[in-house]
This record gives sequence, C-alpha cells and structure tokens, in this order.
Amino acid sequence: MSAEELQILSLTLRTAALSTILIVPPALAVAWLLARRRWRGKSLVETFVALPLVMPPVATGLLLLQLLGRRGPLGGWLHRTFDVDIVFTWRAVVIAMMVMSFPLLVRAARVAFEEVNPRLEQVARTLGASDARVFATITLPLAARGIVSGMLLAFARAIGEFGATILVAGNIPGRTSTLSLAIYNLVQLGRDGEAFRLLGVAVVIAFLAVWTAEGFLRRSHDARRP
Amino acid sequence: MTLAVRDLVLPLAEFTLDVSLDLDARTTALYGPSGAGKTTLLELIAGLRTPQNGRIELHGRDVTNVPPRHRRVGYVPQDDALFPHLSVRQNVMYGARAMPDDVIDVLELAPLLDRSVKRLSGGERKRVALARALLTQPAVLLLDEPLAGVDVALRGRVLEYFVRIRDELAVPTLYVTHHMEEVEALCEELVTIDRGRIVAHRRM
Amino acid sequence: MPRLLLLLLLAFPLAAAEVRVFAAASLTDALNEIGAAYEKASGDRIVFNFGASSMLARQIQQGAPADLFLSADEEKMNALAQRGLVATRTSVLSNTLAIVVPRVGGRAIGGPRQLASVASLALAEPSTVPAGIYAKQYLVAQKIWPQLAAKVIPTDNVRSALAAVESGNADAAIVYKTDALLSKRVRVAYEVPRAAGPKISYPFALLREAEQPVAAQKFYAHLRSKAALAVFARHGFIVP
Repeated sequence: MSAEELQILSLTLRTAALSTILIVPPALAVAWLLARRRWRGKSLVETFVALPLVMPPVATGLLLLQLLGRRGPLGGWLHRTFDVDIVFTWRAVVIAMMVMSFPLLVRAARVAFEEVNPRLEQVARTLGASDARVFATITLPLAARGIVSGMLLAFARAIGEFGATILVAGNIPGRTSTLSLAIYNLVQLGRDGEAFRLLGVAVVIAFLAVWTAEGFLRRSHDARRP
Repeated sequence: MTLAVRDLVLPLAEFTLDVSLDLDARTTALYGPSGAGKTTLLELIAGLRTPQNGRIELHGRDVTNVPPRHRRVGYVPQDDALFPHLSVRQNVMYGARAMPDDVIDVLELAPLLDRSVKRLSGGERKRVALARALLTQPAVLLLDEPLAGVDVALRGRVLEYFVRIRDELAVPTLYVTHHMEEVEALCEELVTIDRGRIVAHRRM
Repeated sequence: MPRLLLLLLLAFPLAAAEVRVFAAASLTDALNEIGAAYEKASGDRIVFNFGASSMLARQIQQGAPADLFLSADEEKMNALAQRGLVATRTSVLSNTLAIVVPRVGGRAIGGPRQLASVASLALAEPSTVPAGIYAKQYLVAQKIWPQLAAKVIPTDNVRSALAAVESGNADAAIVYKTDALLSKRVRVAYEVPRAAGPKISYPFALLREAEQPVAAQKFYAHLRSKAALAVFARHGFIVP
C-alpha cells in the first residue's frame, strides 16, 4: 500500500474506533432503559434513536451541518467559546460516524439485555446487591457477548459511513479523507484501479468485522442452551 | 413473630390474592394446587412484586416499602436461578455476610466449589442455591418447590439436607410445595392456600 | 390503415421535443433564464443537468443521455472529443476568478499575499473540477500554492465552495466572478484581473449521440445568439 493509502486507512480506523468507544456509555444506558423500564415517551425515544438508520444519510448530514457549522447553535458556541471548529475537521467525521452507528449498538445491546433472565437480577437483589452491583456483576457480563457483537457492527458501519460525512466533513486529504470518501473521490477522478484497491480493503475490513460479530452472537446463544 | 402478613392484596389474572398470615414455627409449608398464588406470595414477601394493599412484617419490622436488598430475605426460586457465568464458589459467596464454613459443611459443598455451575446435577444445583441464600444470614428463608426437577431417586437425600438446615442452622423457612410427602417429612405447620386465599392453617 | 400510419408519422415532429443539456455549475443561473425564455418562444422543453464539468463529462462517457454539453474548460471537452462523442463545438464565453469572504465577519483580503495567510480556503476539487483547476493555476502562478495547499477544503463543484463561505465554515473561497455576484451572503474581497489570471474558456458542444438532434441543434444555435449572449453578459460572463 502506498503512503497515501496507509494514511487513509489509519485515519479511517482511528476515527471509527474512537466513534465506537464514545457511543458505548450512552448506547448502553439507552438500551438498558428501553429493555428494563417502562416510562412515558418511551416509544418516542425508540423512534428517534432509530431515525439515522432509516433516514437518507445525507439528510442526517444536512441536519448535522446546520447544528455543527460555525453559525449553528452548537458549532457556533464551540467556535466562540473554545475556538474549536467541527465542520471540515476530523471531529465532524467522528460525530457523523457516532450518529449513524448509534442506533445499531442500541439495538444490539437492547436485545442482549432483554435476553438476560430477569429472574437472575431479581435473585441478586434479594442477595443484597444494589442496582449498580446487579448491573455490573449480573446484567452486563451476561449481555457482554451481544454488546461486543453490536460494537463490531457499529464499527463496521462507521467505517462505511459516507453520506453524512461528505456533507459535514468534506473530503480533505490527510484530515477527513476516510476510506469511503477516498473511494468516491478516486472514482470521480477516473482513477478506477486505485479505487478498486481501496474497495478491496473496505470489503476485507467489513467482512472481518461482521464475521467476528456473528461469531460472538453464536457463542452467546450456545452458552444459553441448557 | 417471624413473619406477619396483613391484608396483602394483589389482583391477578384469574383471581385476587388476599392473604393475612402469622408465622412462628421453624418450617412452615405453603401448600396448594398449581396456580393458587404460592409463588406470587413468596415474591411479594421477597419484595420482587409490589402489593396493591397491605403490610409485611419480618421479626416485627415493617418491610412493606423496603426494597429487596434490605429485607434480609433468602429466596430460592423454582428454577434455582444460579448465575451461569460464575463458579459455584462465586455464586455461593455472592451476598455472603458470614463465613461460609458451617453452611458449606451442612450442605457438603466443599468438593463442588471450583466447578462451573453448568456442570452440576439437579440436586447439586439445589444445594448451591440454598447455600447462596443462607449465607446472607436471612431473617426468613423462602423456598419455592425446592424438590421440583430433582430425580425421584435423589429426593430423599436432598430432603435430608433440608432437615439438617432446619435442625442445625435454625433459619425460619417458608416451604412451598404441592407434594404432601415433603410437608409431612419436614414441616411443623401447614398453611393451605387456594385461589389466592388461605383456607387452612394448622400444626402438623 | 396506411392513413393512420401517416397520421402517426406526421404527429411526431409536431410533438414538443425535450432537449437535455449537461452544463457546468457556474452557468446555472444564466442558463435557467435563457432556457425559460426559449421554452416559451419555441415550445420545446429544455432539461438541465448542472454539476462539475468533470463529473458531467464522466457521466456522458458512461452513456448518460445528453444532447448538449457546456463545459467550463477545454480539457473536459477534449476528453469527450477523443472518444468521438462530440459532433460540433465552439468556445464562446469566458470568465474571471474572484476571491470571496463571508459578508458578515469576513477578513479584508487585498491580494495574493494576504490570501496566503487565511486559515481555510474552499476550492472546487483542484485536480479535476475546472474552477478548481483554474484556481490552482492562479495560486501556483502567484507562488502561494505551497502555503495554501494544506489549508484547502476541496468541494465537489464551485457552487459548494461558494456555499462553504456563505455558511461561514470556510474563511475564503476562489470562485468565478459570476458566482460571487449571485450571493448576498458573501462579498468579493478582490477580483483576479484577466491579465493575472488563467485563461478561462467555456466550450459548448452538440453531442454525436444526441437523442433529439434537430431540437438540440436549434438550442445550440440559440445559445450563440445575441439575445442569449446578452443574458450571459448581464450575469457577468465575458462575451465576444
């Protein structure tokens, strides 16, 4: 691989990894609340969380652009207060990846939590465990495989993210040029050979991520069988 | 008074549970047909379900609004609910307040301690679940059909363990079953429940 | 039966034709005006596809249906001509470059020296899109490309570069003067004089595989008429 290609791969892997790590706490929190609690407005939240999965990614990108641009409510505040820019920087790449992969992790984590026998959590409570201890020692370990599987899917989704990213981060070589954006650019430039090389890399990464994710799920289901 | 239940009411699918009860003995059987509300009553006493009305007192202390973790109730559900991802030792010690020695001896768990719970027989699982509950030093022990799922041939042996617990550890126990043989072998008092109401309460 | 056939055959030339025009993004506003007036006068329908000339050329090469191609540089047209896709062509219009900044809060940039020190500069993709190629030629000629290269935000076409400055997300952009005139949210920091800038040329072509050759030929001729050139001039293009 050329130096340029390595840089693209490195940028893509780093931003996707950071994005996946950052969505874990909020995604687990939301997934747990959806799995274990009933509350007013629950279906509204379920729908909002699912939106990035269903909306055209460029539409999501447009919303993010409005929000995070220098004149937008959030972006403007960050620019004035901390002199920090989001649009057209790697931060926008990470945020776009986070938004687009969040629903996938929530979904997978919710299923994982729902598959934990609530009876086990109940017994743990009678044994004197606080809610936090029940979550840490019973719920989370038993849901771990499903959650890891979800994280791998979220990671793969982040790597493949294009529509929102191109609007909000542009395709700046060395700064925001991810695998997907680079492939698009090379095709636009007529450099098809190089585009296909990057395509091969993208396929290999996606294949490994999904295969491992499925493997985790399989082992999780096998462990459950009596 | 070990356990007192006053006008405990909970509407269920087929009928409304409405129970008042005073328990003093070492081992009391809660006897009745399937679907009579026995498991529900145990869950209410353990704090896993909320009644619509009524009071629950343990050793004179009002625990009606106290969450399960503070009630000092040892609960062994019908399916044991052993934690599959923890070893026998970790299960047994999960909520332990005391040193485990006498419980482990009485239930003969020493050789099983480092095993994974997935490789225990039905009888062994019961003993582990029992030890786990006993080690929290509960004010009362709630056992839901403890011999369900145990090989007929082994029932006698497991029953012996219960007798030992009654005699050597002296924890007041409420024992749910619909087998009269177990009642006669183990219990000092018999409470009969049907369609959510106590229909009889007598000494054995 | 034969009479029915004759009737059908006669019917076709009388039906309104639809002319498909692929045109550089910078021509959008002028062409929309010209097209609307032409539709009323002739009864034909003109359907525009605006975008970066590089992208349009690629689409035509891959078989997208187009009758006319109006490019922002000769190179893209040459590429099509080499593949035998061009029937006839002429170069008519020219343009100049302008450096734009946000109207509110934009820096004062008087010339190339000050341009070299902006924090970010939006350009249409400088390796393929004509507006970007011209901009880079200018920056190289002024010897400030090395300083600016790392600060460039490449966009898909010249209108996106303009939009980046309009939204305030880029400090400056190099666009055509004709684009700069359109937007109320940017102001021209300075214009690149024709002598100092690259030679900008808009070749217009009638394509060999046009589906509506007759109607296309009519519109192609109309684009070079005095009336159409007056509209281009009014939008800021340089006409002969």
